[in-house]
Amino acid sequence: MKILVVDDSRVMRQIVTRTLRQAGYSGHDVVEACDGRAGYEAAVSEKPDLVLSDWNMPGMTGVEVLRTLRADGVQTPFGFVTSEGSDEMRQTALDAGALFLITKPFTAASFRDALGPILG
Amino acid sequence: MNVHPGPTEEDLQTIAEQVWASYLDPDGSSPLILLPPEKPSREVSASVSMTGAWRGHVVIWTSATASRHAAAALLGVELEDVTVEDVTDGLGELANIIGGNVKSLVIGPTALSLPHVLISGESGYPQVVEVCKLAGIWRDEPITISVLQSAERAGRAG
Repeated sequence: MKILVVDDSRVMRQIVTRTLRQAGYSGHDVVEACDGRAGYEAAVSEKPDLVLSDWNMPGMTGVEVLRTLRADGVQTPFGFVTSEGSDEMRQTALDAGALFLITKPFTAASFRDALGPILG
Repeated sequence: MNVHPGPTEEDLQTIAEQVWASYLDPDGSSPLILLPPEKPSREVSASVSMTGAWRGHVVIWTSATASRHAAAALLGVELEDVTVEDVTDGLGELANIIGGNVKSLVIGPTALSLPHVLISGESGYPQVVEVCKLAGIWRDEPITISVLQSAERAGRAG
């Protein structure tokens, strides 16, 4: 399976990729995008099986990426990996079509809990 | 002066413990010791700002050495391999994580800014490009005025 990691921080993209490996998902193909706009374009062109996206990014936020994808008819499974985890944001994420919201800081266990139903 | 209720020191300690356990000290060998340092350092600062119902900043101040250790831990690389860009990105992300968690504790709609990092007087703004700059001398002292734009928007500017 192909997983698209969208985050404007190179450090965080590396941490997400490392945590995927630690959570037991090392066999998957991971592609990266460095901001929301690039994430949207990669979600369309790369056709990933799952998108893991930051929320607070310059230009296009994660939820704007998700809403634009859904408006364009792209139904790729989408989850947030973000530092903000208020009830309001979780509801906003779910309303936009996200499957889950993982808050930073996260552990391999929190990745397994969220991704297990999708990646097995 | 009215001060809107915000996070407490206990809240901040809980957030810090989670950050250290997840990224900076996952094996528990180098914990954050909560004692006031004899020589506080402001060589490096990383901050995010919040606007809206709660307005303010979350700032990390530390030494250059500690900032390099943090970047090395976040990236999983050796200390000698850490670059200035690593420190800017890593400390900015730490500020973003802590700021995001603080934002989750405040009441009312609040927006979180992108991070700002300052290293030994040198500003670091992750993911921006300088679109124009004015450099001059005034009273024999240098002055520089820069306009920085988020990289993604700058790329689209026509």
